[in-house]
Amino acid sequence: MSVTSAVSSDYNSGVSNVPIEHQFNPYSDNGGTVLGIAGEDFAILAGDTRHTTGYSINSRYEPKVFSVGDELLITANGFAADGDALVKRFRNQLKWYHFDHKKNLTIKSAARFIQHLLYGKRFFPYYVHTIIAGLDEEGKGAVYSFDPVGSYEREQCRAGGGAASLIMPFLDNQVNFKNQMDPDSNGTAKKELKYLKLDEVISLVRDAFSSATERHINVGDGLEILIVTKDGVRTEYYPLKKD
Amino acid sequence: MAGLSFDNHQRNQFLSAKGFGSPKATSTGTTIVGVKFEGGVVIAADTRATSGPIVADKNCEKLHRLSPTIWCAGAGTAADTEMVTQLIGSNLELHAMSTERKPRVVTALTMLKQHLFKYQGHIGAYLIVGGVDPTGAHLFSIHAHGSTDIGFYQSLGSGSLAAMAVLESNWKEGLTKEEAMKLCTEAIEAGIWNDLGSGSNVDLCVMEVGKDAQLYRNYLKPNVREAKVKSYKFARGTTAVLKESIYNLVDIEETVVPMEVDTEA
Amino acid sequence: MNGINVDINHLKKGEVNLGTSIMAVKFDGGVILGADSRTTTGAYIANRVTDKLTQVHGTVWCCRSGSAADTQAVADIVKYHLELYEAQHGAPPTTKIAASLFQELCYNNKDALTAGIICAGYDDKEKGAIYSIPIGGSIHKQEYAIAGSGSTFIYGYCNKNFKSNMTRDETVEFIKTSLSQAIKWDGSSGGVIRMVVLTASGVERLVFYPEDYVNA
Repeated sequence: MSVTSAVSSDYNSGVSNVPIEHQFNPYSDNGGTVLGIAGEDFAILAGDTRHTTGYSINSRYEPKVFSVGDELLITANGFAADGDALVKRFRNQLKWYHFDHKKNLTIKSAARFIQHLLYGKRFFPYYVHTIIAGLDEEGKGAVYSFDPVGSYEREQCRAGGGAASLIMPFLDNQVNFKNQMDPDSNGTAKKELKYLKLDEVISLVRDAFSSATERHINVGDGLEILIVTKDGVRTEYYPLKKD
Repeated sequence: MAGLSFDNHQRNQFLSAKGFGSPKATSTGTTIVGVKFEGGVVIAADTRATSGPIVADKNCEKLHRLSPTIWCAGAGTAADTEMVTQLIGSNLELHAMSTERKPRVVTALTMLKQHLFKYQGHIGAYLIVGGVDPTGAHLFSIHAHGSTDIGFYQSLGSGSLAAMAVLESNWKEGLTKEEAMKLCTEAIEAGIWNDLGSGSNVDLCVMEVGKDAQLYRNYLKPNVREAKVKSYKFARGTTAVLKESIYNLVDIEETVVPMEVDTEA
Repeated sequence: MNGINVDINHLKKGEVNLGTSIMAVKFDGGVILGADSRTTTGAYIANRVTDKLTQVHGTVWCCRSGSAADTQAVADIVKYHLELYEAQHGAPPTTKIAASLFQELCYNNKDALTAGIICAGYDDKEKGAIYSIPIGGSIHKQEYAIAGSGSTFIYGYCNKNFKSNMTRDETVEFIKTSLSQAIKWDGSSGGVIRMVVLTASGVERLVFYPEDYVNA
């Protein structure tokens, strides 16, 4: 028995009888937002600590930015189980790198390796936005960001996760001085780029996250900032709103 | 034409079949509650309005007036709760004038449920109706499809489970006004903290038999935004000047005309 | 939907459902209606103290199952017509008239309704009477009627244990044990057991809490 619609027009695509399909969905979104900024002689990687599914909070403190050794910071934001799996694999492989080569992994090599981890699952991807931070061979701050299947780029700053679209334009303006002119030029010359100091960067990160918390429901509870300098890795924690 | 227009229905179906999604309505992914007490009823709501994961309004009003002594808390599609409440509010006043009687809560309830049933759930309004009338104090809830429930305490919205957990554990018979207000506040707070669709402040409305209804807008404000660390005041001259042109739209002229003054009179 | 294959999955998303256990039983003095008190939206119990026994006129009542919105709307319309009927005829309507109104509404609007109704009442002409009006809008006069999702579990029990012309107390016990089993095995049923006794002397309401009916 066929079921067809009584009236047909240019707009009408016709009634169809599609059987209801049930499928296992291997992915979910655990919310949260992350942010990495490179300075002249430091780099930071920050993330909120709220872990969600749908309208529910699973945890108000579930760290997702990790110091994995060799002055390297890593985060993989999106589907938390995939993020954890990726970081776990990276840690494991880093250990073997030390056994095999008896030297530290540079951030440049770490980035290229993560590309291979991600692309290795090209047709069943890790549902994550990955960012790593550290110091390069010259001691300058470095941030690399990746798409879910391994395309990557070194950047001065990058926001990832749910509120990335809220934070990234703010960073463009405050870190790379986009759309800002030199006040003394009377609005004719671009404001000159300069490295921000660590305390300035931390202020920016705190304001970025407290603002994202105001307008994004998956962001909140706590902000954990990991800072890498030549002296090692340091962690700072600031509470965020819990509603 | 009276009523809703469905002129664009076919076109929009065609558009969404082609992959252009329909516009997202602001939903009050909400927590709303109502509790009866000795000689009255109190209803309450949070103040967050969302559009997907984005907070559309941090301090919106979800408590609506149907009549001076009958108020209604709304969850679901923001526009629907607002419009259905205004429509029934108007009709209730006209009805009160023609019958020369104070409007009753059951009248509001019947008008709301019959209107919502007519639209078969397409008007996404989920309401808690509370109020006082010559008959006494009343509390009801209405779902979008037109079904109604009655009870001493009610909760609706995405935070209704969190709120109901509080109501089921702390409600008791014969609450005082103050106890009912406290219970409502705690139930809404449970939604604010534990439901991502709810947040910001608590609005409250107390309706007591023989008294005017009292609206407590922002009865509790547990989510005041902390001060920003940095100032983002831009120095004068930061904005790029792309073009400068000055138009003289008005010519200002000053002319003095000497007047002859009659001095003879 | 084409009139032959009726879409049974058309309960609109998020609609409040009366996944119910309801019944009505005739006895020597009239009829008794019984129902559980649970309404659900998906897995959530939207109301645990629902009243599914609805008065449509004096000693004519109904048990509602299916969509809460649909059955409330239908019951409200029937109630309106019966009030008008009494005003025009100067005499209360019979159970049969009420049941016919229910049947007419449910049959004519079968495409739009999810309503399973048991109409039962007491009138001077017919004394106790029970009419079952299941989902398509047919009507069945019965000595006793069971309906709702929980009723499937008690067809056997009721068939074995129902007797004509029981006493009031025997009937109350029969309904109580039947519904307690329906509630026990049906996840969509629960809460308290409500009953309404309809006799020549009027209306009597009963409530049984879980401690009163489990293992009854």
